[in-house]
Amino acid sequence: MSYAYLFKYIIIGDTGVGKSCLLLQFTDKRFQPVHDLTIGVEFGARMITIDGKQIKLQIWDTAGQEAFRSITRSYYRGAAGALLVYDITRRDTFNHLTTWLEDARQHSNSNMVIMLIGNKSDLEGRREVKREEGEAFAREHGLIFMETSAKTAANVEEAFINTAKEVYEKIQEGVFDINNEANGIKIGPQHSPTNPSLPSGGQGGMQGGGCC
Amino acid sequence: MEYFKSGLKSVLGAPQPGQQPSGADTVERLIQRVQTSTLLEDRRDACRALKALSKTYRLEVGAHGMDTLCYELVQDRNDSETIGYTLDALCNVLSPETFEEEEERGTDSVGGQFTEIFIKQSQNVTLVLEMLEEFEFHVRWPAVKLLSSMLAHRAREVQELVLTSPMGVSKLMDLLSDSREVIRNDALLLLISLTKGNANIQKIVAFENAFDRLFEVIASEGGLDGGIVVEDCLLLMYNLLRANPSNQNFFKEGSFIQKLTPMLQPGSEDGWAAQRAANCHALLQVLRTLVAPANPAQATSACQQIMRGSGLLGSLSDSLMASGVPADVLTETVCAVAEVMRGCGENQTFFSQVMAPSNPPRPALVVLLMSMVNEKQPLALRCAVLYCFQCFLHRNQDGQAQLAQTLLPATTEQVSGVTSGTLLCGGLFSPDTLTNWFSCVALSHSLVDNPGTKEQLLRVQLAPAEGHPGVHLLPQCLALLQQAQRPQTRLGLLQLLAQWLAHCSAAVGHLLSTPNAVAHLTAVVCDVSEEELVRGLSAFVLGLCVAFNDDAVVSFGRLALVQLINKRIGTEAFLDRVADVTRHEAYAKAAKHPQPTAATVADLLLDHEFCRLLKALENVVARAVAPKPEEVVEQVGSAQYKVLIRQQDEQLAQLSRQLSQVTVERDHLAAQVSQLAAQVAQLRDQNSVLKAAADEGGLQARVAELQQQVAKAAADQEDLLELMDDQEAKLTKYRNRLKQLGEKVEDDDEVEDEVAALTAQVVIN
Ligand SMILES: Nc1nc2c(ncn2[C@@H]2O[C@H](COP(=O)(O)OP(=O)(O)OP(=O)(O)O)[C@@H](O)[C@H]2O)c(=O)[nH]1
Ligand SMILES: [Mg+2]
Repeated sequence: MSYAYLFKYIIIGDTGVGKSCLLLQFTDKRFQPVHDLTIGVEFGARMITIDGKQIKLQIWDTAGQEAFRSITRSYYRGAAGALLVYDITRRDTFNHLTTWLEDARQHSNSNMVIMLIGNKSDLEGRREVKREEGEAFAREHGLIFMETSAKTAANVEEAFINTAKEVYEKIQEGVFDINNEANGIKIGPQHSPTNPSLPSGGQGGMQGGGCC
Repeated sequence: MEYFKSGLKSVLGAPQPGQQPSGADTVERLIQRVQTSTLLEDRRDACRALKALSKTYRLEVGAHGMDTLCYELVQDRNDSETIGYTLDALCNVLSPETFEEEEERGTDSVGGQFTEIFIKQSQNVTLVLEMLEEFEFHVRWPAVKLLSSMLAHRAREVQELVLTSPMGVSKLMDLLSDSREVIRNDALLLLISLTKGNANIQKIVAFENAFDRLFEVIASEGGLDGGIVVEDCLLLMYNLLRANPSNQNFFKEGSFIQKLTPMLQPGSEDGWAAQRAANCHALLQVLRTLVAPANPAQATSACQQIMRGSGLLGSLSDSLMASGVPADVLTETVCAVAEVMRGCGENQTFFSQVMAPSNPPRPALVVLLMSMVNEKQPLALRCAVLYCFQCFLHRNQDGQAQLAQTLLPATTEQVSGVTSGTLLCGGLFSPDTLTNWFSCVALSHSLVDNPGTKEQLLRVQLAPAEGHPGVHLLPQCLALLQQAQRPQTRLGLLQLLAQWLAHCSAAVGHLLSTPNAVAHLTAVVCDVSEEELVRGLSAFVLGLCVAFNDDAVVSFGRLALVQLINKRIGTEAFLDRVADVTRHEAYAKAAKHPQPTAATVADLLLDHEFCRLLKALENVVARAVAPKPEEVVEQVGSAQYKVLIRQQDEQLAQLSRQLSQVTVERDHLAAQVSQLAAQVAQLRDQNSVLKAAADEGGLQARVAELQQQVAKAAADQEDLLELMDDQEAKLTKYRNRLKQLGEKVEDDDEVEDEVAALTAQVVIN
């Protein structure tokens, strides 16, 4: 299956907020009611369409447990998008957002698109974080915001797709250097760049010697 | 540590009196100089000298200079020349090699012990990782080698340290793009040892675009015709994929399987260079990780589809039939084909249609089986073919039926020539016992979980020689079993029989009506001079005759057999014989993996599928042979109870579910009721206010409207109350049912009281 672009995403946030469930709902359209603690990192992928173009999303679902923090940090650098998830029924997961955001900003490339997600919107009765609070946090830190439910699938597609739209727009605006793989973006095999003067990328050596 | 001290004593403690300073003294003075000199040039010279001495006086440099050298990495990190010497010296000290010029040789774990000391300070490892970012060749290269040495000694610890140092793995990955081949190649070797057995590192390496890099390197080196670097790339890929479902999924989703296919195209015409064989072998191992039987079935099946669709299975089949393929590559190719089609209907069909370019053309499967029953072929290849055939038949009812068909009268006309069926039946009579074993096991796989083929093979007749009357296959197997001396042949036959008899009363009937069969089996089980496995399998076969006995053969009905076993063998002893099999090391080995492997001919005893059968039916046999006295009568009864209990369990679960659902609904309704009550009260208030006002002005219309609203609200409320009554009734019903079923039900009285109170309130209003 050929694609126009490939985007790499990471999903981050406290343990138990529903990161793995969001990914599973997005890739397999299933919900997993039992907490299956993620060990390290798990991979998932799906194709979406934006603006008539096939876009492949490669998603790394990270472990929220503190013990895995140093491992999961290795994934920030190469990602084009990040879903930062909290649980609307657990205020502590919302309170930790600042730490997560600092961590992400410190280790990622500056153009990474971050989508803030308040998950478990189906549990309205147990809500501890108001929707407005999520919105305000997102506004303050320049993030996109959505409330989702990995259980009912509400807004799950939208969360992944809207993040991709944002990345796509940044590409159109020329913000992202699509020839630098460290940005988490690849051009599809059959879609060599429209600009014929761009190098094809097969040339080694450029990256290695850059720093000197 | 003790070792170093004693080692040092022997060097330092026995100075030759009055002679020039010993090497150890020189090392000592150099270390001093690095520590104390204020001039960079001095320190640099001292480091250069230490490097030069670090092979000959490895022990001294390591034992006395380690801390100094580590500190030097920090102190003079901006002077790449000094850093280069320092890293070189450390490389020698930590190296897994023993140097010729080394003075104090003796134990080869010197490097290991120094590594242990070096990594005890975790920042040392971080420092070396930072050195990788230095572009200078004489810094980067020894840094790579130093890491490799550490990994060679202390893989697990170094892996963890790399993981926890910020961006450690990413820094290593960048080395694969280094244009200096030496560095790139050594980095490859480093990554191979770094990724071995550590899933977290494997995933980060994959995330860092390792597969793209590796395919680029392979292409630039000329694909499978390339040098050892290609093999290294493939070994690294293998490490990244083996037993790592996340990376396998990434590999599949990244369309990397499709990149393997063109690599399999036949290479240059001038035959198989040794390196091409090694590369090809490594490539086959890579693709096998994606379809390994231990992987999740769904993942394997997705990869299998892609492998057929992308032409990879076709290319593999072609290379199977090509000439001049080295034996080990051929063996690995057979195993790869096996796993690419295992349990995948379309791929099995595809392969069954592949024809070998022989004269006359024959199906590839038949040609493969010909090598399996040919004792001149290498053992590994014959095992691989058995595996391939087993994978072809795995969950392949059509394939199993076709095999049986080739043995039935309607199709065994002379014209059809050699078929897989005739080859295998022929193999039963071979003087080569391994051929017997292979043929039995292969045939048994046509019977696995297939009632149809079990019946079909009962009709097969064999003519042992021209002009002899035909004998049915099953009695023939029993006859061979009684004649055979060698355990391997007998084990093969017993496993074939076991697959056949399991869940097939007709086959049991055939066995029981074959003269001497029961007597022979019983005798073997009793005979202490027999092989443990032969006795155990004979017992199991006999046990199957009890378990799947439909009492059709009068003399050997179920009860008669049970009594016979008890009298002749003793029930306990009989069951012990069966249990002996599961305790045998051959059982543990065969049960572990579907692929039959053997270092020597004698290793092949049990078949994986048979082990599964034994495991599944061991208890069934035990229960059939040793029913508890009351069980004989009550067996039916208790089975009925079990069904009843299960039904009640289900009912219970369902009712509990309904109960909780209804409770939720009721709570919801109660909330609505109280809301409505509030509304009614409010309207009533408004109404009285308005009534009062109405006297003063023309508000009658408004009043009427409000009265209507009140009436409607009252009606709504009425409806809700009815609904609630309904729910209450249901609740009570379910609760009673649950109580009847013996479940303790918490009384919801409190909630009920509340609702009642609310209801009362509403009614009063
Ligand atoms: N009701 C509800 N439950 C959810 C939702 N999303 C996740 N859960 C539940 O929350 C629990 C944790 O979900 P996971 O997806 O495993 O959590 P995680 O963020 O991946 O946790 P770590 O892997 O430890 O970082 C599970 O029991 C899920 O069933 C949701 O949208 N609604
Ligand atoms: Mg998870």
